[in-house]
Amino acid sequence: MRIRNFTLLLLILGLFFILPFVHAQGATEAQNIAEGKKVYDNSCAHCHGIEGRGDGSAAENLLPQPRDFTRGLYKIRSTESGQLPTDQDLFDIITEGMPGSSMPEWETALDADERWQVVAYIKTFYEGFKESETLPKEISLKGKIPYSKESIEIGKELYTQFACYECHGDEGRGDGTSAPTLTDEWDYKSWPANLHQNWNYRGGNDIDDIYKRFVGGIAGSAMPMFEDPAFGLSIEEAQRYTQLDNKGEMTDAEEEEYTQLEDKMANAFDILDLINAGEGDEEQKKFYEESMKTFYEKSWHLANYVKSLSPEKRPEAAIGKNSLRSQYVEDELPPMDDAVWDTLEESYFPLVGQVIIEPRQFNPTIDSVSVKSFYNDTEVAFLFIWDDRTHNTAEEENEDIGKTYEDAIAIQFPVKIPKGPTSPKPYFLWGGKLAVYLWQWQASAPEKTTELTAKGINNATEQEFQGDIETESAYSKGQYKLWVKRALETDDKKDLQLKPGVFVPIAFSLWDGANGDVGTKRVISSWYSFVLEPVPSVKRFIYPPIVALLSLGLLIGLRGFMQRRNTE
Amino acid sequence: MKTKMFACLALLAACGFSLIVLADNHEEEDMNKLVFPEAYKVEAVANGGKISGVVKFDGEVPEKKKLAINKDQAVCDAVAKFDESLVVGDGNVLKNTIVYLMDITKGKDFDAEAKKPELDQKECRFDPHVQIVPVGIVLTVLNSDKATHNVHIFGTKKNNTSVNKQQPKTRKKMRLSREGVAKKAEGPIEVKCDIHGWMKAWIAYVPHPYFAVTNEKGEFTLEDVPPGTYKLGYWHEVCGTNNKAPVTVKVEAGGEVKQEFTLKVEETK
Ligand code: HEC
Ligand code: HEC
Repeated sequence: MRIRNFTLLLLILGLFFILPFVHAQGATEAQNIAEGKKVYDNSCAHCHGIEGRGDGSAAENLLPQPRDFTRGLYKIRSTESGQLPTDQDLFDIITEGMPGSSMPEWETALDADERWQVVAYIKTFYEGFKESETLPKEISLKGKIPYSKESIEIGKELYTQFACYECHGDEGRGDGTSAPTLTDEWDYKSWPANLHQNWNYRGGNDIDDIYKRFVGGIAGSAMPMFEDPAFGLSIEEAQRYTQLDNKGEMTDAEEEEYTQLEDKMANAFDILDLINAGEGDEEQKKFYEESMKTFYEKSWHLANYVKSLSPEKRPEAAIGKNSLRSQYVEDELPPMDDAVWDTLEESYFPLVGQVIIEPRQFNPTIDSVSVKSFYNDTEVAFLFIWDDRTHNTAEEENEDIGKTYEDAIAIQFPVKIPKGPTSPKPYFLWGGKLAVYLWQWQASAPEKTTELTAKGINNATEQEFQGDIETESAYSKGQYKLWVKRALETDDKKDLQLKPGVFVPIAFSLWDGANGDVGTKRVISSWYSFVLEPVPSVKRFIYPPIVALLSLGLLIGLRGFMQRRNTE
Repeated sequence: MKTKMFACLALLAACGFSLIVLADNHEEEDMNKLVFPEAYKVEAVANGGKISGVVKFDGEVPEKKKLAINKDQAVCDAVAKFDESLVVGDGNVLKNTIVYLMDITKGKDFDAEAKKPELDQKECRFDPHVQIVPVGIVLTVLNSDKATHNVHIFGTKKNNTSVNKQQPKTRKKMRLSREGVAKKAEGPIEVKCDIHGWMKAWIAYVPHPYFAVTNEKGEFTLEDVPPGTYKLGYWHEVCGTNNKAPVTVKVEAGGEVKQEFTLKVEETK
């Protein structure tokens, strides 16, 4: 009894001796956390919630939802699957924000100290940060393969082998067959990234970033982490296997080859399982190392391919030198599928959710619409191109997404073209006092464009006299194409009348039915302007030769003159 | 004397502190989850008793809901698939209910088979729909399909076992040793294949072997139960739990206790 008491006493006394030291060591950390709490409560809590549960007052309408910090799940990590992020990861994501979501960048609003402090604080929401004795294991970037045409080619095949298309679609626009049913771990709808618009990636679009995302996975999302689906096979063997796998009928020899490759993989996967479990002998370890090297090599090719799908950077909006200029042709205007369209640069119109008038769209899924145009002496043709992951042609109750509506686009012009750049334009949301003239197209009637007049977003009427707007459209691999052709001038006073050289305001509304877009809930642009590039014929094709001739003449003249001077 | 008082005070403070911690934990306990003993000790059970019975469903049996198979039809739609959240058999018996002892603190070890849990993906369906996995034991996932799956085990506060790993058709067997081993008892946790959105299952990480999942006939059996008095609990995907009012059973050496449960669909809040 006595001894017990004594030990207890000693223990407690000991604690009192040790405590101050522990405290002294932890002081800066505790201070950091205290300071971080202030930053957090001020800047983050209205989205992420006072207790870090992702349930702040502003969270309700947001998709994706603000992160719930109590689960320890972080999408953007430089660490391997199943690991927590590093402090640097957290710092970086707070600094840079998460494009394509409502998570803002904090580089401007908070200084670096404050950002580090808030990192310390958000870690306190999840016990696991305290419990883990070791630092999280980072994904190695060793053996990176330079970006090249050859690498992209190999990567393209791996995109199929790794089955990325299941979610991201054959061409990568996020339109895979699994896309409509994906949710995150909080049961909110989530869409696979459109790999052609990498400025919307949450975690950056460098090749290294892309590599980390699919080697480490995007925790909490539907996107899995990957191990080599053809583990143990070389790149060539894997290609051969896929080739045989896609073959309907195999010869006996091929059959044997196929079985051999399958056995080789099965064997390799067994070894992979052993090593993952911390088992395996020396020989198996060596085999594993070698095979992992091939896997990393494949992964770099794949990252290079994914990188190649997007333009080098987000296109600049269609203003100034980038504005939409309809090009003159003498002959018939080209139909939708004419290759001539490919010779034109497209003008890029970024879109945002309509958040001014109820019902609003806080979580837009359409990034932009790209436009090209040709005109001739009597008509103008436009080609509108935009990405939409799903093709919705009707109002439907969808088990996975909820209610869906029809996809649509409306192209907006003023009824009367303002005289100059400073003259008033109609209100950009479908007009007001000044009316707008609209072309509306809906996915259920793919060959019809309706003319509307509107004096407000809820005040649009179909024009009584529907003019002749020729329409073609197509939906393929996550992308819409709409082609319309109309006379430059019409008899209808409510129509827009077009003349070369005059800048005409233009704006857009688009609806992604799968995202609940209908009525005022839509994505929009503000006013831009376009012009029928004045007929260049004479100037462009006759003047240059004349100028050339003239300057040649001048040159000859000058030379003669100089020669004469020299001989004199 | 003084020091002694001080020590007492410190102790009291410590007790108070731990009480608070406990209370905090309690608050977070989810009524829809299983309940586990604080600790469990493995020891040989001689002349144990048996608890068995049937779980029945009370209420209008909803029509079987056929799942819409929107992809990989050749593999996934060869046999019709139905929603498995509520499987009621002839005589209103309820499949996929976990019946277990809530408060057992010592008893037998898991048998060899239980220590090799396997979750199969076959014809784009998880088999079994409710899977018991001992804490600390590796789950093996099979892919019997010529289709790519991804095994997505949702993360939780306790374990952070969020696993989401692709399983290509070339990989028939995958052990989740690196990422999926739960250190703490909890569950059931949702499992999903995101590629085939209709594929859903549940995993419970458990600390002792006195767990049974009811079969097609709604039957369960718990064997080798050391004599004593226990709380008998259940969990069902849509019928919820009896955490608030578990049944008390008294097991006698070599005896058998019969227990029937009748479950209703839990009202959604
Ligand atoms: C306007 C709402 C909003 C505010 C304010 C906000 N966030 Fe976020 N945050 C989000 C959303 C939404 C996400 C999730 C984005 C996603 O999942 O794609 C997110 C995600 C995060 C993540 C998770 C990153 C990952 O890898 O998963 C961190 C860390 C984070 N925010 C920190 C902060 C901090 C720190 C602040 C304050 C300085 C802050 N956020 C303020 C909306 C917000
Ligand atoms: C099961 C569906 C699924 C599969 C298969 C899949 N992805 Fe994803 N992917 C997603 C989802 C969902 C997101 C969006 C994650 C988020 O931010 O919530 C995503 C996002 C991405 C991103 C953007 C990351 C960022 O920073 O925002 C890239 C790049 C990507 N995936 C590449 C790939 C590649 C390469 C493959 C094949 C190796 C692949 N994905 C396979 C579902 C999938």
